[in-house]
Amino acid sequence: MSLTASQEIYVSRLGRGTLGFAALVVAVLAGICIGETPIPVSIVLQTLANRIFGSAYVLDPIDMGVIWNYRLPRAIIAACCGSGLAISGMVLQSLLRNALADPYLLGISAGASTGAVAVTVAGMGAGAISMSLGAFVGAVVAFALVAIMARAAGGGVTLHGTGQIVLAGIAGSQLFNALTSFIITKSANAEQARGIMFWLLGNLSGARWPDVWLAVPIALVGLAACIWYARALDAFAFGAESASSLGIPVRRVQVVLIGFTALVTAVMVSIVGSIGFVGLVIPHAARFLVGVRHGRLGPATALIGAVFLITADVLSRTIIPGQVLPIGVITALVGAPAFAVILIRGRRAP
Amino acid sequence: MILEAHGLGWSVRGKPIVTGVDLVVNEGETLGLVGPNGSGKSTMMKLLAGIRQPTSGDVRVKGEALRAMPRRAVAQLIAFLEQQAETTEAITVKDAVDLGRTPWLTPLQPWSPKDDLIVAQALADTDMEGFERRSWATLSGGERQRVHLARALAQQPQILLLDEPTNHLDVQHQLSILDLVAKLPVTSVVALHDLNQAVSCDRVGVLSGGRLVALGPPHEVLTVERIGAVFGVRASILTDPADGTHMFRFHPAS
Repeated sequence: MSLTASQEIYVSRLGRGTLGFAALVVAVLAGICIGETPIPVSIVLQTLANRIFGSAYVLDPIDMGVIWNYRLPRAIIAACCGSGLAISGMVLQSLLRNALADPYLLGISAGASTGAVAVTVAGMGAGAISMSLGAFVGAVVAFALVAIMARAAGGGVTLHGTGQIVLAGIAGSQLFNALTSFIITKSANAEQARGIMFWLLGNLSGARWPDVWLAVPIALVGLAACIWYARALDAFAFGAESASSLGIPVRRVQVVLIGFTALVTAVMVSIVGSIGFVGLVIPHAARFLVGVRHGRLGPATALIGAVFLITADVLSRTIIPGQVLPIGVITALVGAPAFAVILIRGRRAP
Repeated sequence: MILEAHGLGWSVRGKPIVTGVDLVVNEGETLGLVGPNGSGKSTMMKLLAGIRQPTSGDVRVKGEALRAMPRRAVAQLIAFLEQQAETTEAITVKDAVDLGRTPWLTPLQPWSPKDDLIVAQALADTDMEGFERRSWATLSGGERQRVHLARALAQQPQILLLDEPTNHLDVQHQLSILDLVAKLPVTSVVALHDLNQAVSCDRVGVLSGGRLVALGPPHEVLTVERIGAVFGVRASILTDPADGTHMFRFHPAS
């Protein structure tokens, strides 16, 4: 049986999609199996069968508890955070036409941390939702401040003024990190302070099922938004004025997409703290693999981000026996050299 | 009367760049806009394209106010070729020209084989066939300009606004692009530097200090006196013995 060209493209797309999904499943399984006490894949699969399909394999209840209550939600949260942060970085890079844009570097994560900490310390019910709301407000305020600073510095979103927004982002990050420290020192009791400091560095050990029900929909909404706006994002390739002349309502698209970015970042930060460099590095890796069209780039970015953060989490738990590294350390160890490479390549570009 | 401007003005930080321009573009004509550097040509083009909002007056397309129309509807009627639109994305020529189809596509009305045909035709019209897979970074200035034009053509507009389309082009492609624009069944407004190119437009508008100081057929508008007043050069008119057309030669004013 022979296939037409468009059918072949469809089949290869389907093939790549299946491959990607398989990679995600393998990563999640690896995230569950590997840890301080390794658990064989067969037991993991039997536990999942028991819990999901109501099978009746006889298993050690401790293993079952570790798998179902700790490692599975942790792996799912890692996947959601990885894809959410990577998508946020991709959207910021495309809209601002800046290869170094990323929620962490632009101060959005820092603002979200401040918002989440303020809500926690003020004791307005430190549930996941209210913390996320606080984080969202913080994220939006931080980005608005950074954008105003960049514009005042003559940067804005032009190709030649791209340095300013990154500098403004650094200033914004410092400011909001200082505010966070101020709030903690002034208002938190010793126990709260220790918990918050641990969370701020990026920590997945608190991930439980209620967080999953928040993280999964938000990650999917973020992905859906960038697939829906894929053509609009493509149209920004030659700048905002060019996008406008191609029929894109530039202002509305910027507000909606940056709003989604702030929302996704805020929710992820409120669950796991601020993890750097995922949003910076992953979109570049994805562009290298699938090209610049956002219809393909969005799903690829989300997938690679998910697999990357699960892997980083596994590494953070196993690289030093008996100790857990903050996951931000792993992402920074990968991300900082990648940042340097992007910087150097950007200089060489015409 | 497909495109018209009334009392059109735009100023930045209180400094007027374009002031009180009244202009009516007729369906099917090629209107040339000339003027010295800083006379407001590029701003004028952006105002006509609707990507900059006028600070006074308005632009109308087919009688409808541009500022009241959704961007998508505008882009289905008007394509705009900017000066020096650049990218650092690793896009290919095909990617760049495909963008021209943006105003005609929605998530529910995706890319179709018809769009492929339109893009292929636009590449053929601009002499860029065979370049589809080439990456943007490897193109010369002139090739980039032709890709931009191909993208504008792929928009299938009724009005084409071109801001110095012959910049960066070698003489052969300058002629072929102006020829192509003249032959297209669309209305076009072309900002031009070269007064000899402006001569072949249907009508010419002269901008000076943000004002439209003359508008009409080229031989009426581009007189030696006006060129002297607006551009500050002394022009002499030569006649081409091959076909009898007039052309300008320029000398320093003093």
